Amino acid sequence: MSPMNLIEVENLTMRFGGLTALDALNMSVRQGEILGLLGPNGSGKTTFFNVLTGLYRASSGSIRLDGADVIGKTPQEIYRSGVARTFQRSRLSLSLTVFDNIVIGDYQHMQHGLLFNLLRRKAFRAEYEQYVEKVRDLLKIFSPPLVSRLFEPVETFTMIDRRRIEVCRALMSQPRLLLLDEPSAGMTHDETDELMQDILQVRDRMNKLSVVLIEHEMNVIERVTERCVVLNYGRKIAEGSYAEITADANVQTAYLGEAV
Amino acid sequence: MSEIGQYIFNGLMLGMIYAMVAVGFTLFFGVLDVIKFSHGDTLMVGAFAGLTASIAMTAAGITSPLLQLLGVVLFAVGLTGALGAVIAKFLILPLHKAPPLNTLLATLMLGTVIREAVRLFYPDGSNPKPFPALLPTSSLELGSLSLRVDNLILLAGGLAAIAGVHFLITRTKLGMAIRAVAQDGETARLMGINFEAVVLFTFALGSGLAALAGVMNGLYYNEVNFNVGLLLGVIGFAAAILGGLGNMYGAIIGGFLFATLQVLGSALLPALIPDIPSAYKDVFAFAAVIIFMAWKPTGLIAEKSSERV
Amino acid sequence: MRQTNKSPRGSLALIAAAVVLTLYVWMFLHAESQAAVGVLIAAAAIAVAVSRKLGATRTMEAAVAERPGLARALSLLGALALIAAFHDSHFVLLMLCAVLLFSTACLGLTVQFGYSGVANFAGAAFFGIGSYAAAVMAAHTQIPHPLVILFSGLIAAIIGSVLITPVLRTRGHYAALVTIAFGILFKTFIEVNDVLGGPQGLQVPGMKIFGVALNDGIAIPGVEMSFYVAYALLSLAVFALVYALVSALERSWIGLSMDVVRTDETAASTFGLHIARWKVIAFTTGNFFAGIAGSLYGMVSGFVAPNNFTFADSLLMLSIVILGGLGNIAGLIPAALIVLVLPEKLQFIQEYRFLLFAALVIIILLFRPQGLLPRKTRIFFRGETSK
Repeated sequence: MSPMNLIEVENLTMRFGGLTALDALNMSVRQGEILGLLGPNGSGKTTFFNVLTGLYRASSGSIRLDGADVIGKTPQEIYRSGVARTFQRSRLSLSLTVFDNIVIGDYQHMQHGLLFNLLRRKAFRAEYEQYVEKVRDLLKIFSPPLVSRLFEPVETFTMIDRRRIEVCRALMSQPRLLLLDEPSAGMTHDETDELMQDILQVRDRMNKLSVVLIEHEMNVIERVTERCVVLNYGRKIAEGSYAEITADANVQTAYLGEAV
Repeated sequence: MSEIGQYIFNGLMLGMIYAMVAVGFTLFFGVLDVIKFSHGDTLMVGAFAGLTASIAMTAAGITSPLLQLLGVVLFAVGLTGALGAVIAKFLILPLHKAPPLNTLLATLMLGTVIREAVRLFYPDGSNPKPFPALLPTSSLELGSLSLRVDNLILLAGGLAAIAGVHFLITRTKLGMAIRAVAQDGETARLMGINFEAVVLFTFALGSGLAALAGVMNGLYYNEVNFNVGLLLGVIGFAAAILGGLGNMYGAIIGGFLFATLQVLGSALLPALIPDIPSAYKDVFAFAAVIIFMAWKPTGLIAEKSSERV
Repeated sequence: MRQTNKSPRGSLALIAAAVVLTLYVWMFLHAESQAAVGVLIAAAAIAVAVSRKLGATRTMEAAVAERPGLARALSLLGALALIAAFHDSHFVLLMLCAVLLFSTACLGLTVQFGYSGVANFAGAAFFGIGSYAAAVMAAHTQIPHPLVILFSGLIAAIIGSVLITPVLRTRGHYAALVTIAFGILFKTFIEVNDVLGGPQGLQVPGMKIFGVALNDGIAIPGVEMSFYVAYALLSLAVFALVYALVSALERSWIGLSMDVVRTDETAASTFGLHIARWKVIAFTTGNFFAGIAGSLYGMVSGFVAPNNFTFADSLLMLSIVILGGLGNIAGLIPAALIVLVLPEKLQFIQEYRFLLFAALVIIILLFRPQGLLPRKTRIFFRGETSK
């Protein structure tokens, strides 16, 4: 196992009854890189995220995070190993506030004791205000207008802002690995650019944050990623820089179909 | 010998009734992903409707047991089926988009409304009422076994009803529509199936089945009580869970399993603890539900559910 | 971050509202004839409609949000004023105890159902367990009564843990079924055997604190006081304490975690939340509160019988929680007044109260599921309403 690899995926297979979503997938994620994960719809990208974060249990194969196999671990354990994600279909608690939704991203560092929360209110307030600062700092980068609307319910915000809120939530826990599942869906080019710049800005502050980005927007992939992996039918069909994979015949066939 | 035979018959009858209620629960869950907690009380309404029909017919001078039986069954099933459809249209469907706990609560409250309405507005509703004996009371001799004809008829009737529903669901076009809606309501709609009509029909069907069970319950025990719905509802629901929510065969098996448990309990408990009051059989039944749920919360066969992550 | 420019207008508005509400409740509790009650209800309906049109409700909500301390102090004063006003009426004081103690149990149900999404249809059973525990401990042991109340809550919580496994399942109907079964089982079990008094129930000794028996009453020369005054004060204290705890819980990481678990378990688990742990904490804590409320209530009413803790009573408690506004503990007392006191005042609905309140809940769920006082977004500490 190369010391440069944060994630090593070996023969990963995920079957749902008769459907094989991941088919002996082999790939890796290098320490500190921004990896683009591409492929047509249904190629297994989100399934891979779900297996990696412990929501599905792989049928066979392994995913090693720093050498330790993640298969069989609970989502909670995997989160504590430093993995955070966003969801393809935005998963926020709509009736809760922006602050509520973002701050929960750092759940592992919060104090949950009954005594602390109920009886030591001064100490709790101190911790709370620290978190308000942290959340405000993140929002100042991703969506400054939201800073003054920190305690409004998320359901009153646009889809774009909600996606930004989800990214903030994922960044709160200072993860080592950030999994972004089509974060720019529904955004214009400009908004997407902005989002990526903001993510890069935050990444600069976090030592060695690795990112895996599922995207359909090719400009983004081209500009932001250092390396790409292309999936089709649950298998890796190409790997390399953006230029390399777009020139790859297999990739072209997967997306566009056979040449007539 | 006949004592064991009696126990077995009790078990079969009970199982039949539980199965019919459980099938209703499972049908509603399958079609709309909803638990209609008032289903047990629907059964009670069916029983009371039947009783009313019988009283009305007697008052009108129709005393032939066969005619009364026919009238009772038709009226009970018809009225309760209609009631089921009305509940579906005005309570269940509007709450379809709301959080599932809302429907759960609403149907629980509905059960209370039905129960209290009968208790308060039916003449002398809070006391058990005798149900007319409309089945022949002769016995059939099979070797050393003496089987009562009325019990046999009830058993056969229940089996026929369940078989009928099964046939409807699996062999008819309507049944296919029901199964389509159960699998994927959206797509079914796209395929041209009238979603609302299918839902209303399914609820009518389940409620009608419960009404039949209610009439059978009345005929077997010779009485009806406004309270009977709660116990039957809880057990019927537990039986549906036991067999896996959404699985019709499972619901039937679950119903009979619970009946077996209850009959065994009422047979064995007095042997273990002499002089135990008969009310303990209810305690036993509920304790069985709790223990079972603690052991296998999702049933012996897992409930069908999928959520897009 | 902290607002320091609080206008005195807000405070005055709150004081005025407190006075009006206290007067209104006084009139309500005082009303003898059903006609009077009818007039009061109509007046309330009109007042609510008018104030909504004038936007007064929003001003009031803002005022309460800015000065929670003052709002609470005023509520407490109002309650004390009512107790003082009815110091010689056994009946009204007993009703006040019921409202306060059932609301305490409903605080527990709110933590379970409103915050964590855990369905508990055996609220009355846990309340009853508390009463029975008090009956047994107070009559047969030397345990000081304040401890009896505490232990009763613990007993209720421990017995409730039997139901934990199915309660932890994702889909609410498993918890619902198991708690319904438990509630009925509890009542039937008690009724069927005579160990705990059977259908007749048990007597519960009156409360003794530091050797002083509350049943003897407080003697103030010249003033005739019902012995229930002490119980009412005690009930108020218990309610206020549990209210403060639950309010702090909601405005803490605990409340936040519970809400996230309730709204999206999948996302919650990917951010490390222990789903099972929070549900267990909610379920246990809620039952604990129900138990202590029940045990004090047993001492107040002097007896406990299985007929008071039926499934219908559990549903009644849930109606209070839903009517008041699911998840909003400020709505519990008004809802409890409606569900518990109104049937006493309008005798003709007494018979029909289960039917009526069940129907009311259905209507609320269909047309205004957020209840009378909808739950607000979480404001951890005042002065956070960022303007």
